[in-house]
Amino acid sequence: MARNPYLPYSARIDEVVVENEARDIKTFRLVFEDPSSAAEFRYLPGQFAELSLPGVGEAPFGIASSPTEADYLLFTIKRMGLFTAELHSLEAGTDIGVRGPMGKPFPWDQMAGKNLLIVGGGFAFTTLRAAIKYILDPANRTQFGSVLVIYGARVPGELMYKEALAEWQARDDIDVHLTVDKADKSWTQHEGVVTTVLQGLKPSPENTLALVCGPPIMIRFALLSLGSLGFADDAIVLSLEMRMKCGIGKCGRCNIGSKYVCKDGPVFTYQELRALPAEY
Amino acid sequence: MTEKQITRTDLDKLLGFFRERGAVYAPAKDEAGDVALTEVGRAASVVLAYTNFRLSPKAFFFPQNQTLLRFNDGRAEEVGVIDRATVLFGVRPCDARALLALDQVFLDGHQDDPYYAGLRARTTVVALACMRPASSCFCTSVGGGPGDGTGSDVLAVALETDLLLRAQTPKGEELLSFAADLLADAMPAAVKEAQERIRAAENKIAPVEVANSAERLRKAYDSYVWETASQKCLGCGTCSFLCPTCHCFDITDEVRGGTGRRVRTWDCCAYALFTLQASGHNPRPTPKERWRQRIMHKFRYAVENFDRPFCMGCGRCIRNCPVSMDLRTMLKEVGP
Amino acid sequence: MTANHEIEARLRETAGELLRQKRVDLFLGYEKASLPFRTTPLFLTSPDEVERLVWNPFCTVNLAVYLPRLFAAPADPRKAKDLSPPTVGLVLKGCDTRSVVALIQERQVPREKLVLVGVACPGMVDRQKAERALGEHEALGAEEDAQGNVRAMIDDEMEVALPREEIVSDACLECRFPTPLIHDVLLGGPVEPKDRDVARRLTAEFESRALSARWVHLQETLSKCIRCNACRQSCPMCYCKECLLDQTRPRWVGASTDISDVTIYHLVRAFHMAGRCTECGACARACPMGIDTRLLVRKLSQDVEDLYQYRPGEAIDTTPPLSAFAMEDPQDFLTEP
Repeated sequence: MARNPYLPYSARIDEVVVENEARDIKTFRLVFEDPSSAAEFRYLPGQFAELSLPGVGEAPFGIASSPTEADYLLFTIKRMGLFTAELHSLEAGTDIGVRGPMGKPFPWDQMAGKNLLIVGGGFAFTTLRAAIKYILDPANRTQFGSVLVIYGARVPGELMYKEALAEWQARDDIDVHLTVDKADKSWTQHEGVVTTVLQGLKPSPENTLALVCGPPIMIRFALLSLGSLGFADDAIVLSLEMRMKCGIGKCGRCNIGSKYVCKDGPVFTYQELRALPAEY
Repeated sequence: MTEKQITRTDLDKLLGFFRERGAVYAPAKDEAGDVALTEVGRAASVVLAYTNFRLSPKAFFFPQNQTLLRFNDGRAEEVGVIDRATVLFGVRPCDARALLALDQVFLDGHQDDPYYAGLRARTTVVALACMRPASSCFCTSVGGGPGDGTGSDVLAVALETDLLLRAQTPKGEELLSFAADLLADAMPAAVKEAQERIRAAENKIAPVEVANSAERLRKAYDSYVWETASQKCLGCGTCSFLCPTCHCFDITDEVRGGTGRRVRTWDCCAYALFTLQASGHNPRPTPKERWRQRIMHKFRYAVENFDRPFCMGCGRCIRNCPVSMDLRTMLKEVGP
Repeated sequence: MTANHEIEARLRETAGELLRQKRVDLFLGYEKASLPFRTTPLFLTSPDEVERLVWNPFCTVNLAVYLPRLFAAPADPRKAKDLSPPTVGLVLKGCDTRSVVALIQERQVPREKLVLVGVACPGMVDRQKAERALGEHEALGAEEDAQGNVRAMIDDEMEVALPREEIVSDACLECRFPTPLIHDVLLGGPVEPKDRDVARRLTAEFESRALSARWVHLQETLSKCIRCNACRQSCPMCYCKECLLDQTRPRWVGASTDISDVTIYHLVRAFHMAGRCTECGACARACPMGIDTRLLVRKLSQDVEDLYQYRPGEAIDTTPPLSAFAMEDPQDFLTEP
């Protein structure tokens, strides 16, 4: 009999890492209590899970780890509301529930054989980290063409995954450009919003798929830029967020038009999004 | 499909017989004089003269409060569905058809809802054809009818002295064969009488323009009509809670010291907080967006996703709205 | 009592004039609904459509419920300077004007932005009572006759006469303020309350029952509640942007129909209405389950009247007891619990 989709897998917080200077973004490393749960929890980057704390409730979070990173899950979470405040107060060793994987991942079938342009802004970079780790894994790298990443934050202290970023910048099979809106004295890289860097680099749309994740304002300008660079609407892939409860397309809360962000998304092409009402 | 009949005076005996296998619910009058699906006790006193129940029978499959998980010392456990065979007698065809819509949501093949599945599996639905549609009924405009058996397991039609029983599904066949000793084969005259009565009922129902609703609503998304129509909406949950197809729910935890439950409760898209995000952003910030969502969901998104409007024409929302909003009027205002 | 069709005609004239002269941006009234025994609120902005306005025994909705929303400050304060609040004209019965007075006292609506068209009211029909009176028959149409009773057309072209007093709303039977207390225009003559003591008698009767019997009655009544919030949403005095009973941080009450959640919901609402309820009965008429939502509040209103000689909504320049403080006020319940 199929697993009850409302029953979370038992897991434990293995490690908590503070990602930013403001200390309101933390990465939680979760391990399943039962190894067979890990085997059942087969996911691809772009998908999300609902984390569960008895008495507090649940909330959906994009999975920041790649399935190639062995038997743990990473979630990078900003403290915003009821659930995240509680989560941020927890230490390693605390039990936590995980329901998932949920949603549609990035379109890996279509991404194979293509060049990839990855554009991320601020806190929304989480599932893009998962995507990059997956792409760079030796078992996968040859499936894709060139990989160009542009990742921006307001100030250098807000950039997440600093170690991973440094590693990637040292590699020659991926081109990572970092930018901040406002530099400090020690910052030596780009200064300016993500779209300025994008316009400056002028990536070719030829056989290229773009993944874009970021705050609404960044997405708006990134879409305009990509359009002017010649990217077709169905070559641009976005990931959306909505208030969710069940995460499995039953409770009716997260729809944009006829699509449920939890079940038909959270990944949509720009072409699909344009066909939906602007109610998000 | 098997067709049987029984005299109306023997109906109570039939329902009493069904009680041997589990619970039986049938229409009975409560102290206020309203007719509702009530559990049949030793002596059934079934009433057949009613238009419809105030509440839809969806609560038998999707209860208003339902424990999803129990927590013991922080550990989550599933809750089982009690395997008590249940027969619902007297469900109107509109409410029975609604179950097919709910099936498409809860049993969509994408992580099926085990709680809904369990209640569905253990329940046999005997629909009772309508002889006296209300002026707020419009089932015939949304693909149903007063004598439509789809969604039920057995369709019953009340005749002058008898009750015709027509099996609609294998579960219905099974129910009728269980009661074979009490039932006679349906006479051609009874079948004919049933057809005539149903046709007479169909003729009483005024049509509503629902055809092409999905296309019309797509064109009217930015129309000013949403602003003007929604001004009246109070943002209560009456329409959604009484509707046989509305299925939105909320999930909350009630836990003390690691012990308690995770419960789902009916929710309503007309509520202001329904889509409010932790950041404070609300994609549907005013009654206009919420009223539009309601109509769109029922007559456009459901049609696009499930090939049917999520409205069975039962009329409960129209009869019970505190400010007498009428979605039939809305469908007209949306334009061609 | 001036005949309704006369009042209707004058209402249309008045609304038309107000809109034509731009003395109001919006006129709130009633228009014919799609089912009998009902009207539906009408938001008029054009003087050409005043013929849609009606005045009849089915004008039950308390239109004051829309006022807080119409005058709510925009969420973005930067937009506030561009938007000026509209001037709203509305037609009001006696009880409705009490709600407007209370809303003005609570600073939810500015008096100078309202044009109040009052009509003295002999009592409005409760559609649930009317439908119940017809039993198995369904009304296909309903109209008031010359005596103020209602004639319902049922199937087979038959008519049933429903005496007004049998189908009038329960709140109307208890009404002590049928004539509007404030108005800019008054249509029709004043109406005297029939019996000022009905509410007191009902409370006394209930209080004469044994405590356990009262509790059983309350539980039985409330157990029908489906938590649809229609009572709260139809109440002009319930305008909090986030209702305490919806709050999640912390969650004071669950959303289920468990009797404890239901009881707390109704108890809290009753207490929040003490000294504020203007006795219009919108809550009871809105309830799809026929719950007597006024049982508790009626008692609390009488206690406030007895303790503070205060009846909400009577006059704008009075101070509601919960907003007033004097040094001599008893405080022993604070220091000696």
